[in-house]
Amino acid sequence: MKKVILAAAVLALASTAANAQTVRIGTEGAYAPWNFVNNEGELAGYEIDLANAICEHAGLDCEIVQNDWDSIIPNLLAGNYDVIMAGMSITEERLQTINFTQDYFPPDPSKYVAAAGEEFDFDNLSGIRIGVQGNTIQAAFAEENLADGNTIIAFATPDQSVADLAAGNIDLLLADGSFLDPVVTNSGGAIVFVGPEELIGGGVGGGVRKEDTELLATLDEALDALKADGTVDALRAQWFDGAEPAYTE
Amino acid sequence: MNAEWLSNFVGEDIAFWLAYFTNGAHRAWYASFRFTIFAALFGALLALIFGLFGAMLKNARFFLIRGIGHTYTGMVRGIPDVLFFLFFPLAFVQAIEWINAQFVCTPEMIAATQSNWPPCREAAIYFSTGEYLILACVALGIVYGAFVANVIHGAMRAVPKGQLEAARAYGMSATQVLLRIHIRQMWVYALPGLSNVWMLLIKATALLSLLQVADIVWWAGQLGAPNYLPQAGLVHGDWRWGYYTALFVFYIFVTLLSERFFQRVTVWARRGMPVEV
Repeated sequence: MKKVILAAAVLALASTAANAQTVRIGTEGAYAPWNFVNNEGELAGYEIDLANAICEHAGLDCEIVQNDWDSIIPNLLAGNYDVIMAGMSITEERLQTINFTQDYFPPDPSKYVAAAGEEFDFDNLSGIRIGVQGNTIQAAFAEENLADGNTIIAFATPDQSVADLAAGNIDLLLADGSFLDPVVTNSGGAIVFVGPEELIGGGVGGGVRKEDTELLATLDEALDALKADGTVDALRAQWFDGAEPAYTE
Repeated sequence: MNAEWLSNFVGEDIAFWLAYFTNGAHRAWYASFRFTIFAALFGALLALIFGLFGAMLKNARFFLIRGIGHTYTGMVRGIPDVLFFLFFPLAFVQAIEWINAQFVCTPEMIAATQSNWPPCREAAIYFSTGEYLILACVALGIVYGAFVANVIHGAMRAVPKGQLEAARAYGMSATQVLLRIHIRQMWVYALPGLSNVWMLLIKATALLSLLQVADIVWWAGQLGAPNYLPQAGLVHGDWRWGYYTALFVFYIFVTLLSERFFQRVTVWARRGMPVEV
């Protein structure tokens, strides 16, 4: 048994050494159009294209891996991957645990959606079932501002929250506008925007461990260059229908 | 699959669905059945090995060893398999990381690491899908090995004493009695129990996705999840019921196949024995 453990340890050491040059990027893979699994069974989306552009520009050898949203920060800290690119908004709370690159998507207003025909009094919401994705800025916002008199339901995946809204298990869904836009456009009129827009988080950036200052500088440098040459805005326009240029004049 | 001749041949609708059900994501789903099948077969093999070992411990003369056997079967059988499934691989990975840390980490490295685990980042070990799959099989083997141990322990006792006495009377040695008569006849009494354990184990293979293995259940959820983005593929609502139904059919099919298999094996194990009335 001792030999087995030793052998395993040696193997692990060897594989750690071999992987030292590779930058692993963790993403959720369930958040269209940011990051998702496409019809070919491969990861695709804005952040996948952007990650590849960053790696190419910085000359990094990159590998993109999927990780559930709930454990995406703990697994970054544990070393399963080195960068989070998963539509994560830069917030004060998260900055206490990890560092962020500069934003690669400007602050995105959160929106409410509901089944068509439902009406809500947004000045005085009560007795409403409000869905959010767990551990998101919307979840924190809802707990703070909407929990009184309403039921907040946190879902593990964004898909699940939309499915439950469509099935009538929740009345309202609060999520990033960039995620909800294609949902409303392609739902055939079944799901509509209601109520005000809430500006909750900062921009979206890549998350890295606090001790990885060198990697952070490399990523920021690459983002500077890609913003300046218009790559970031071109990708935004490609994936977010009609997104206005934000990083070029 | 979009070839025009196909559309002309089977009609546009069928050609469309054929293309949809053979796209890359669906092919990945079909391919992921190998994880489930591997986990079932390799898990069952390990369960049998752990079970025979456990039964041996339970039959031991020395009371301490017997105690270990009873503790193993008693404890593992009582713990929900989901818990054990989550606990064992995690504990194993952390144990390996801890051992690794003893060699790799220096105090400076530990000070530079902000998370509590692993002790230092250089000691972190990233397990691939294949390695998690094997850990999952070991977890299945340990849990269902406890059931197998009980089944075999009971079956050994169910062999009629007269058979063993007759064997001894013929002048067989203790080993000969064990191998030629006792274990040989034990299978007849063990098989119904073993087939039950096998069915439980098959059902537990649906837990693989808990260990981040992209198995059939994970892919079914992924494919059935509503999609509203044309760039991501066909826009559709919540189709998970359809995909989960397909999994129901698969597991029922496996059940029927297993029943057939165990019937055959029982007939084989009973050969030469009097037919029960």
